[in-house]
Amino acid sequence: MNRNAVIEKVVWGFLCCLMALSLAILVFVLAAVIAKGLPAIDWEFLSQVSRNFGAAGGILYQTLGTLILMAGAVLVSLPVALGAALLQTEYLRSERIKKTLRHLIYSLNGVPTILFGLAGYMIFGVYLEAGVSWLTGTLILAVMILPTLQVSIQEAIEALPEKYRDAGTALGLTPWEMVRSVILPQSIFGIVTGVLLGLARAAGETAAIMFTATTFSGILLPQTWTDPVPTLQTHILILAQEALSPQAIANAWGAGLVLLTLVFVLILAAHYFRGRIPMESER
Amino acid sequence: MAFISLATVVMLFAFLVQQSLSVIAAEKWNFLFGLDWWAGETYGALPMIYGSLMVTGLALILVLPLALGGAVFTSEYLPARYRLWIKGLMELFAGVPGIIYGLLGVALLGGWVKNTFGLIDGNTLLTAALLLGIMVLPTIMTLAEDALHAVPGQYRDTAFSLGLMKWQVVLSAVIPKALPGIAGAVFLGLGRAMGETIAVMLVIGGLDKIPDPWFNVFASGQSIPSKLGREAAEAIGTDLQWSALMALGLTLFLMVMILTFMGNFFLKRAQ
Amino acid sequence: MKQVFFRILISVVFFILFSAVSLSPGFAEDRREKIQVVGSTTVLPLVTRAAEVFAEEKKDAVAITVNSGGSGVGIHSSATGRADIGMASREISNKERERFKNSDLKTIVVGRDAVACVVSSEVYAAGVKALSRKQIRDIYLGKIKNWKDVGGPDREIVVIDKERHRGTRHVFMQYVFGDENARAPGARLVTGSNNEEQSKIAQSDAAIGMLSLAWINEDVVGIAILEGDEAIEPTLENVRANRFPISRNLNFVVAGEPEGIVREFVDFIISPKGQKMVKASGYVPVHPL
Repeated sequence: MNRNAVIEKVVWGFLCCLMALSLAILVFVLAAVIAKGLPAIDWEFLSQVSRNFGAAGGILYQTLGTLILMAGAVLVSLPVALGAALLQTEYLRSERIKKTLRHLIYSLNGVPTILFGLAGYMIFGVYLEAGVSWLTGTLILAVMILPTLQVSIQEAIEALPEKYRDAGTALGLTPWEMVRSVILPQSIFGIVTGVLLGLARAAGETAAIMFTATTFSGILLPQTWTDPVPTLQTHILILAQEALSPQAIANAWGAGLVLLTLVFVLILAAHYFRGRIPMESER
Repeated sequence: MAFISLATVVMLFAFLVQQSLSVIAAEKWNFLFGLDWWAGETYGALPMIYGSLMVTGLALILVLPLALGGAVFTSEYLPARYRLWIKGLMELFAGVPGIIYGLLGVALLGGWVKNTFGLIDGNTLLTAALLLGIMVLPTIMTLAEDALHAVPGQYRDTAFSLGLMKWQVVLSAVIPKALPGIAGAVFLGLGRAMGETIAVMLVIGGLDKIPDPWFNVFASGQSIPSKLGREAAEAIGTDLQWSALMALGLTLFLMVMILTFMGNFFLKRAQ
Repeated sequence: MKQVFFRILISVVFFILFSAVSLSPGFAEDRREKIQVVGSTTVLPLVTRAAEVFAEEKKDAVAITVNSGGSGVGIHSSATGRADIGMASREISNKERERFKNSDLKTIVVGRDAVACVVSSEVYAAGVKALSRKQIRDIYLGKIKNWKDVGGPDREIVVIDKERHRGTRHVFMQYVFGDENARAPGARLVTGSNNEEQSKIAQSDAAIGMLSLAWINEDVVGIAILEGDEAIEPTLENVRANRFPISRNLNFVVAGEPEGIVREFVDFIISPKGQKMVKASGYVPVHPL
């Protein structure tokens, strides 16, 4: 073997080691959550009310609370994201404005979530008098996931093969007819992808809702607009900080595994749907 | 409607500025450079600013070799079939909620740091940095990989035709070409790390002090998001303390925005 | 194929919308009475359990939300009307009385507790069984840095402080420094809730901290306080007899005289049934069982 071939092997080995180490760390994270969380999980854990300060019972209503906030956030955010994406792809002509707007979306995506929580609480909670409630949480999360939704939708629309639009134009469709009968149906997978990613982001968020939308106990399902809800994220946080018994900590891991599964399922589904977006290149 | 993101960012900024006016009026420059934060008396934010920068910087140093090594390996050496698997996996791990990392940090990492380095306590700047590093590893790796992968094949072909070995091709043709994209990936990852609240809050130790000496990463510290997360509930409705926290939020906002803008700037240049 | 997906998406969206609005019959016209309780993590487990039982007795016609945050948050919330009851593991300070003088704040004692000076079990086993007020003060000031200076092993002391608005800290600092807001420059670590502090002390083999009686266990040992020649152990008996020097009331803080369902809940806590729960939570009842 000459010198270069040896270096080639060394470089390959070195990079392979780095890759393996990265994967090992991430897999360890997953394995740790499964190993610690799985023993706590059984049917009762998933289907019962949390009792005795998290040491007994399950996480049914925490899970429902997380789902309510997620769903609410997407419901509020989707029309806005859809409108904004359509406006930018179909109606806006100036490339420069498009670029600037996209830049801003990314900036919004980068804003630390705790700032959404604090500002959102003062604006929705105090100024609009929604208080610490699932409504406040929903609105804050809706703003937070807006960029995720919008970018996914926009990318899907922009990737639409030109021939669809050409066909629509040839039929003499108005812009609105075009949107309704061509663009939306054709970019449906992109919209679904965006929705799923948005749901995943909302599900994983704690800082934005921990003092704006949640309660540890007392309320199971919200019955008014201004009720707080229990959520998986804050349940884990409180148990990690306040729990008295090892059983409560074990339950926190159980709740962690449930949350992680929820997020992973959403991301995997998003991945699946994204694979089905028709691309320009497949013309 | 398209301007709703613009409106949100501007409103958030205006809100933070408006809320922090009173503490800035009271503390002036002492807010940025003061070393002492004692609610009700004095608000010096330097320890928190230091903590945020230190933890983020350290996380970067720890994670960069892994992320870039992994990205180069995936893009240049791995067969396409595996590449997609890795990309999917990274996307999956990028979504792991911060609270999960927090739980891991409290239950495992803290103890590990304490025992490995023979410390008297495991809640340190290093622990927080390690946790953040793991958190942003998938993000940086996958974005950097995108940048490498986007380098057109002709650059590789040209380099190969000069008789270079593969590692020389990668080093002299592919990486320089992908550098703006890689830089963008790193900045965006840093922005995410700097804003993370929950995971850091649970392991950083909560001490509003710059360690002595300042590079002692085995000491406890405090980052801006962690301070906000721990003190905001108490301060809601008070005047000066709340204002001081909002000013901290403003500082964080500006620091993260700079990182995000740099990230986008480089990514745009890469395209 | 795409049509099918589009329909599925629309039905899913409508299903979520529908179920969100119809979560319960009569959504948005609430028939339950509500009590919001916020504050001290020391009182939290007790009130969470009591609220579960109380709501059950009321056949769930009442919703009691219980949240943590610390005594300062509790007092502040009840004074500003953001909560019906504030939990506080200390008394209302003069500063707070001054600030909320329009709110007519009242405290209702629901139990008694002690703040023990606690150390890691390794330190206790090595011989540190009691400390004087002066020794604790010097440790928190950073003048004493090693356990060997107070009769322990040759190990650096991990001094654990608490967040400033925590009731436990107020009571402890009042005793040690004579000032509830005293600074502790010797601190190596600042924790928030009782459990956070407990787990940090348990993880360490050289830590000192302050902890409510209910959180003391075999890993986190409460040491005696030396007053003159007498070593006073942090036990429930000593708290009951008012002998342990760092004792405190666990309080409900209300703005104005409580009425209606809030009154009923307060009465429930100080009833024999509620006081038994105080005892079961590791505190000292103040009303007859």
